Amino acid sequence: MSFFLFVPWHYAHWAVRCVEYGFVGRLPLEGIRICDLTWIIAGPTATRVLADFGADVIRVEHGQAVDAIRLGRPIVGESPTLNNSGFFNYINRNKRSVLLNVRHPMGHDLLKRLIASSDVVVENFSSGVMDSWGLGYDELRSIREDIIYCALSGFGHSGRDKEYTTWGPTAQALSGLSIMSGLPGKQPAGWGYSYMDHTAGYYAASAIMMALYHRQQTGEGQQIDLSQVEAGTVLTGPAFLDATVNGHSWRREGLPPGNRAWQPEVAPHNTYPCAGEDRWIAIAVMNDAEWQALVRAMDEPAWATDSRFATNEGRLQNQDELDEHIAAWTREQSDRDLTAFLQAAGVRAGLVQKASDRFEDDPQLAARGWWHNLSHAELDDCEYDGVVPRLDATPGELRTASPLLGEHTHEVMTGILGLSDEEYIDHETAGVFM
Amino acid sequence: MSGPLTGLRVVEFCDELGQLAGKLLADMGADVIKVEPPSGSSARTIGPFVKDIPGPDRSLNFWYYNTNKRSATFDLENSDEDRAVVRRLCLAADIVIEDRSPGALAAHGLDYPSLAAEAPGIIYCAITPFGQDGPWAQYQTSDLVSLALGGPMAMNGYDPEDAPGAPPIHGNGDQAYNTACHAALHGILAALLVRTKSGGDGQYIDCSMHEALSCTTEVGMPYWLYKRENVIRQTGRHAAAQRTERWMYRAADGRDVLIFGVGRDNRTWSDIKTWMQSHGFGKQFDEERFDDPMARQPARGTPEAKEILAELGAFIASQPAEEIYRGGQQRGQAWGIVLAPDEMLNDPHWWDRGFFAEVTGEGVDEPVLMPGAPYIFSRTPWELRRPAPKLGEHTDEVRAELAAP
Repeated sequence: MSFFLFVPWHYAHWAVRCVEYGFVGRLPLEGIRICDLTWIIAGPTATRVLADFGADVIRVEHGQAVDAIRLGRPIVGESPTLNNSGFFNYINRNKRSVLLNVRHPMGHDLLKRLIASSDVVVENFSSGVMDSWGLGYDELRSIREDIIYCALSGFGHSGRDKEYTTWGPTAQALSGLSIMSGLPGKQPAGWGYSYMDHTAGYYAASAIMMALYHRQQTGEGQQIDLSQVEAGTVLTGPAFLDATVNGHSWRREGLPPGNRAWQPEVAPHNTYPCAGEDRWIAIAVMNDAEWQALVRAMDEPAWATDSRFATNEGRLQNQDELDEHIAAWTREQSDRDLTAFLQAAGVRAGLVQKASDRFEDDPQLAARGWWHNLSHAELDDCEYDGVVPRLDATPGELRTASPLLGEHTHEVMTGILGLSDEEYIDHETAGVFM
Repeated sequence: MSGPLTGLRVVEFCDELGQLAGKLLADMGADVIKVEPPSGSSARTIGPFVKDIPGPDRSLNFWYYNTNKRSATFDLENSDEDRAVVRRLCLAADIVIEDRSPGALAAHGLDYPSLAAEAPGIIYCAITPFGQDGPWAQYQTSDLVSLALGGPMAMNGYDPEDAPGAPPIHGNGDQAYNTACHAALHGILAALLVRTKSGGDGQYIDCSMHEALSCTTEVGMPYWLYKRENVIRQTGRHAAAQRTERWMYRAADGRDVLIFGVGRDNRTWSDIKTWMQSHGFGKQFDEERFDDPMARQPARGTPEAKEILAELGAFIASQPAEEIYRGGQQRGQAWGIVLAPDEMLNDPHWWDRGFFAEVTGEGVDEPVLMPGAPYIFSRTPWELRRPAPKLGEHTDEVRAELAAP
């Protein structure tokens, strides 16, 4: 085939498919329905990812056992209304909410009908809750043979301690992540937030999409059992292997190393104070060429040309003195200006950005249009971060703010589940939608 | 049984930033060919090393992040023939992942527009520190620098009395790179699902580590968005708008116990109270003022909460960490011990679940254990089919496959 024919054929083929399948402007997970039984943070983080990419995520909520994050700070206004948590709004955008009393036989029946019309059921209850509802995987399969069921829990749904529970910080402690963060000789610092709620949620979102792909290929559904602690340990691989191969534990003197480098072993590699209150810059020099760039950027002070600092080995051995000298140089400088100056000089450096810095002053996030606005009935205009990563043909997007509690009950019951208005009122009167 | 991604072909041009994305695909069945320069991926120079001796096939970082991949070496800088072979490799792939600086692969004819013109089905994911455009697109970074700019570090550190003047602290283990790869995987899988549905078109994915981190800081961002407040760092617990009570207490054996709430409801409170009292702690807990669950919650700052935590701290200091952990969990408390990663090996629960995977490589005589699957799939399981490849181990094999009709 000649080049002349080749290009137009592809173009025409592509254009036809765009029309035929509505490819342009579509969301990648459009048409996928998620029966979302999750709450708190980890589960809703998983469904945030799926909702951002266009899945129809229906939160099944319960008036008697409301998602605690609906009361989670920051709250806007004097007291919690269940709809005015900024935190809830942040992780539940793009979703719908139905109120359903699943302990009521009629509510239980409606939940089964919702499951029958869903591609995925996801929950992050303690192990055993779904069985107590009569909705273990076998029952789910009997409702819909090709259902994908993702259970996200602390310890997983098997093993002798499956009844144990976690919050993000517990999982971080048990998985080894906490001990890998801190100053030597001190208690671990953290993580300072529930990194493993985010990240277990990210793994759940990936697992669900992989299972959906397998179903696309074969028509088969399956069950996914995800333990938050195991997902945490998956993020410690080289440290874990250092123990099993070399016998080096993280429970030894000098570790954790603060902001100095564990691996690769390089120096300087630390945070240094800058002008202002609690302002810091991180600098990481990975090799001799980058060290020479830093020396030039500092205007070649006499101490820096000392032969003890000429090699990485020498810099590692004299790290206390090295860090003191660099801190003396950074101390009076603006963290933001110094970041730009060092980057231009070929040095890996970046200020420690607080949320205010990222939202108000980060030129990169601003230039890429990272911040968005949506309106919410109780919170008015809300600001949000964007969708990562950016798909050029079918990007994720922000469509709606987080749902009010039960906002979509009528719409879902009469729409997806096909209840007549009369049936809806009967169920409502019977106390099913609460 | 094999993973859900079996049959997918992936070409990976990644070092330490993007290598986890390839592993996550490979571990679930994809055939991931890692294209390395003749000198090897820079990840091969990252320790720790087997028996602390460096070498291209001895990096435990490389061992871990490159399981189930194949390695083929090509000289993209100097060889036209190699560039042509690699281009053909990409054209035959479903997915290309790269973590080079924006524009770098275009010099070798391996950029998305050039490949997609011939193979429109390609899903091409570029993982970079800051994204393909914007004023920081060419900034250089490291895991530490990205955790600083992206926001996680600002939330992590110490109470002033624990470490006066301490800086924000970063967590180790390449968590900035890992977070970038988690986002990349979401994009790749979403593109894969829509590709099947739409009849075969791939697309380009721009994955910015900075953006991935910036939406992974939990309450930090909502506090600014809704209250215009920055949270403050605290030892071993969540950053918060105001100081909160401690969660981390040292047990009698010197290990730290993480407690997260104490007796949130009256049933578990009664169990905890009885347990502590049986060891001689918390005699005053029978007083009526401790009966209200709200009064007991540390976040409320009540005198009762302070008293409970003081007694609990003394109780924990009198017991080994394991007693506190198991005793708390058996009484409905989501408590934990601060463990080193490998200490999970001492807990039979994880063996029950088959979590650990055996791996081999240069310098070890017997298989060694490493973390296994992050998720258990009932039908298409995670699987360790092969350890990380030696440098160039599959070059001939890959060339032969391309040459085959």
